[in-house]
Amino acid sequence: MDNVLGIIFSYSDRAAMRELTKIRTLASLPVAGKYRIIDFLLSGFVNSGIYDISVITNSNYHSLLDHLGSGKDWDLTRKIGGMRILSPFSRSDHSNGEYKGMLDALYRNLYSIKRSHAEYVIMTGSSIVCNLDYQEVMDAHVQSEADITVLYTKSMNGGRTVPRGVGVIKINKDGRIYDLSINEDDVRLQDVNWCLDVFVMKKSLLETLVADAVSVGLTDFYVDVIKRLAATLKMQGVEFTGQFFEISNVKGYMQANMNFLKKSYREKAFEKPIFTKVKDSVPTLYREGSYVRNSLIADGCKIEGTVENSILSRGVRVEAGAVVRHAIIMQNTDIQCGARVEHVISDKDVIVREGREVIGHEKYPVLIEKSTIV
Amino acid sequence: MSTMSKKETIAMLLAGGQGSRLGLLTDAVAKPAIPFGGKYRIIDFPLSNCVNSGVDTIGVLTQYQPLELNAYIGSGQPWDLDRLYGGVTILPPYVKGKAGEWYKGTANAIYQNIHYIELYEPDYVLILSGDHIYKANYRLMVDYHKERDADCTIAVIDVPLEEASRFGVMSVEENLRICDFQEKPSEPKSTLASMGVYVFTWKKLKEYLMLDEENPSSQKDFGKDIIPRMIREGQKMYAYAYKGYWKDVGTIQSLWEANMDILDKDKGIDLDDPRWKIFSRNPVMPPHYVGETAYLKNSFVTEGCMVEGTIDHSILFPGVVVEEGAVVLNSIVMPGAKISKDSRVEYSIIMPQAVVSAHQVVGHIPGPKEEEGGITVFSGEEVYHG
Repeated sequence: MDNVLGIIFSYSDRAAMRELTKIRTLASLPVAGKYRIIDFLLSGFVNSGIYDISVITNSNYHSLLDHLGSGKDWDLTRKIGGMRILSPFSRSDHSNGEYKGMLDALYRNLYSIKRSHAEYVIMTGSSIVCNLDYQEVMDAHVQSEADITVLYTKSMNGGRTVPRGVGVIKINKDGRIYDLSINEDDVRLQDVNWCLDVFVMKKSLLETLVADAVSVGLTDFYVDVIKRLAATLKMQGVEFTGQFFEISNVKGYMQANMNFLKKSYREKAFEKPIFTKVKDSVPTLYREGSYVRNSLIADGCKIEGTVENSILSRGVRVEAGAVVRHAIIMQNTDIQCGARVEHVISDKDVIVREGREVIGHEKYPVLIEKSTIV
Repeated sequence: MSTMSKKETIAMLLAGGQGSRLGLLTDAVAKPAIPFGGKYRIIDFPLSNCVNSGVDTIGVLTQYQPLELNAYIGSGQPWDLDRLYGGVTILPPYVKGKAGEWYKGTANAIYQNIHYIELYEPDYVLILSGDHIYKANYRLMVDYHKERDADCTIAVIDVPLEEASRFGVMSVEENLRICDFQEKPSEPKSTLASMGVYVFTWKKLKEYLMLDEENPSSQKDFGKDIIPRMIREGQKMYAYAYKGYWKDVGTIQSLWEANMDILDKDKGIDLDDPRWKIFSRNPVMPPHYVGETAYLKNSFVTEGCMVEGTIDHSILFPGVVVEEGAVVLNSIVMPGAKISKDSRVEYSIIMPQAVVSAHQVVGHIPGPKEEEGGITVFSGEEVYHG
């Protein structure tokens, strides 16, 4: 699909991730052991043949830049297309600082978007990650002759609620969108169509919509485009029934990770390659005394203790007698002799000293901040 | 040529040998492309050593079954060898003028690529081979060579006398100047074995390559022809005493041993040194999964594996599946192989993509009298007892 520009919003205004996004933008949050959220988004585009990709960043995107580099690990160091990172761009006195909304972000990066030769754009957020073939979405878009295609789901995806801040669309029997509301709270809603933050349209239309909206001070894509123009433009809802994960709070984050312990989920998620930054880690070493059950473990770990129902990123050490259960342990964390961590999300470079215990609860995992020594 | 391309030291890596003593393992791939140590291939070691030593220009001489090796090296990017000037270049034999010919020996292979070497106007040329596992800083060796104003420096390692006849061995004077070199002698006069790592002063090497080419009785080999002749003619040849882990992996037994050595902290080969990484082309695979019925100890497991059986003192390469009830002992399981339910694998090398069926037994504890140790190589269709 050489006529498509992929746009990734690497941040989210609505995600409430506690300390996890204090030091990084949402898209660079580690997930499933060795990956960052953006790996799934970029790989999705690449696996669908889309090699022209813009990544819009807002704040604290240092770790994202560090992760992405030139894009070569995703095969995105290209002369034709390739990956561009769009860092915040000020256009005037009243359009600077952090983005005020999606439309403001697009407006301030319009120069770059206009330079792409693509005919269409596909936009995606970072808090919901769909495992989808964009070719199918594109085909549906072209076939329905819609101006804008909006991906939605009715599935709770294993969770109990529809996340706060997502757009909920109303569609008629032909799938045409006639109204939209924003979900006010994390509540259980029956039979609603909630948006997955994936949109398809002609690039020329996006350029016009953005310029028009911003000229009258509008900034929110859902309310100021989808809702406001529902009667004017042909906006089509397309239901997505495939696999996705949704990370808008810490519980969702835990759930999204734990999904990967299920064989059927993993097989589907990794059916096509998911690319990530290459680190040249050594294989993981299991020493005498290790006891590991139902866990996903990246390279470069050294394990002498017990690990159950957990996800370990690269370079984690679990020393003799240490116990890790129901936990997400990020890069280069040391769980020293006899320490115990349960229902914990441990950020990068943490040390849990000998014999220390950190115990959370299934309903409220304890979060250990980056570089903490417990 | 612009002065930008001048390189003080370049490396020539001999990767064309068949490795016939490795049996099934080299039926379809050149020896340097054989998987090693969980996620590496043998050639990752010399390539990583070069890069970590600051040598960024490497010619890789290929001849036997080069397809997989060429694809593996690619642009050289995984080793940081995709450079504007230099980097890695695959050098297969090619047609020059009206005639083309195969590489007739290690020296002839270099001779046929004199033009490549001269592109970089090097002062020194490192000659390496693709069948050894070791970590070495070639920079130190070149410095040693320079300090002595040597014509050739050969890295040596002390081996037990009974093994010396497998190597090129040399006799040295007190200052380590080489006075005699025997290639694979039946009665070795010394226990200083050549590691197959040479530094030559390029001008001198070029002179001897051209002389050797004109000698009809020469086998065009470094160990048999070039080095003995240089010693005979009084050139300044020094031995460089290497300290550290080094292993020739030219046989099934030694390949198996070298793999087992990386599981042993005391053997002195640590792959997990952030200042001396072994780079490799990383497979695109998810983290490995350990199931509800797995037991793992003293083993390396890498990406894409799924383990539900027992793994003891073994190495699993990317994408290996070990089902419930299966036992893998003292073995190497290469990429994509499957060890089915309730099977048993011991003292074996399971080849890439091979399938061990349910309840099948592969390998056996090597008998004490068998010279070669009795490591089993299993490809699915064929079983080879080394």
